Amino acid sequence: VISSVLHATRPLHTTQQCSAPLPPLPEKGGEVRHGLIPEEFFQFLYPKTGVTGPYMLGTGLLLYLLSKEIYVINHETVAAACILTVIIYGVKKFGPAVAEFADKLNEEKVGKVLAVKNEAIKDLETAIELEKKEQWRVEGRNYLFDAKRNNVAMLLEANYRERLLMVYNEVKKRLDYQVAMQNLKRQKEQDHMIEWVEKNVIRSITPQQQKDSVAKCILDLKALSKSAQAAV
Amino acid sequence: MAGRRAAIKAIDWAAFAERVPPNQKAMFNALKTRSDALSARLAALPEKPPAIDWAHYKATVAKAGMVDEFQKKFSALKIPEPVDTQTAKIDAQAKEAEKTTAEYVQASKARIAEYEQQLQKLRSMIPFEQMTFEDLHEVFPETRLDKDKYPYWPHKPIADL
Repeated sequence: VISSVLHATRPLHTTQQCSAPLPPLPEKGGEVRHGLIPEEFFQFLYPKTGVTGPYMLGTGLLLYLLSKEIYVINHETVAAACILTVIIYGVKKFGPAVAEFADKLNEEKVGKVLAVKNEAIKDLETAIELEKKEQWRVEGRNYLFDAKRNNVAMLLEANYRERLLMVYNEVKKRLDYQVAMQNLKRQKEQDHMIEWVEKNVIRSITPQQQKDSVAKCILDLKALSKSAQAAV
Repeated sequence: MAGRRAAIKAIDWAAFAERVPPNQKAMFNALKTRSDALSARLAALPEKPPAIDWAHYKATVAKAGMVDEFQKKFSALKIPEPVDTQTAKIDAQAKEAEKTTAEYVQASKARIAEYEQQLQKLRSMIPFEQMTFEDLHEVFPETRLDKDKYPYWPHKPIADL
């Protein structure tokens, strides 16, 4: 709308577009004296009139307005005075509190967003850590295959040894069986022979022989008893 | 003899256990118990069976020629070694693993590069106090309000407020 009012007499957008970020806004506004008059005015008059210059100017202006009745004092003046008093009193008393409240709101907002940003940074860092750790884990894959190969080798070796042992045991069992059989047979033959001999001997003792041997025994005993008595 | 004994490497189970991720610990434990059982079984068997005392048997066994026959057959006996069918498979698995790990490591590195990039962007951000909304939308694109989809304020569904 404004450009159409100007009828495009003034060229617009002549300088290059600059994408540098804006400088940060200043924290505080310009310095003011008495809440109204900027400090620059006082600095402007200082070289010529010194420190009291602007005050003299102000007083002179005020007196001029009053005496020449350029500003007329009427009921509205009183009303203005009362209202201004109340306003200035209110601002002076509650100003800082309200400012603090507003600042707190702003800080909370900024704090929340800052927390989000910090969380994001922390999450990314932990994610990078985890990825590196996973890569380190992956490097240990050879352990697994070595373990598997070892298992296979152990199994083969164990099987081989078991086979050797089995062969040895079987052969030994057979040989031992033969030896044991032989021994058993001999034992049985011996026992049987002894028994048979004993039986025959007992059978061949005739009653007459028995009586003779008993008489001989008695005679021997008598002789022995005689010699024994002498010994005792 | 040399061909039959594939060297049994000493495995550092502690280092191995470190590298196992927590969701595969059960498999690792199973492998370890199996391995330990096998090595215990192997250790229990003697390397060679004791030699048979032929002279003693020749003297005691009466049957003629039996011991000699046994001895002849025993020394001529060749016990076949168990055939190794699995090592080839294991080697094939190892090669597969090499390939998949290379891929995984590459993908992982790509992810790390992404994260690094984002991290860089976040770290070199201007402080929030100096940002305009435009700058905010640049850094956090999800805060940008879609003025085409929702032309009327607040430019997002009411439920999202």
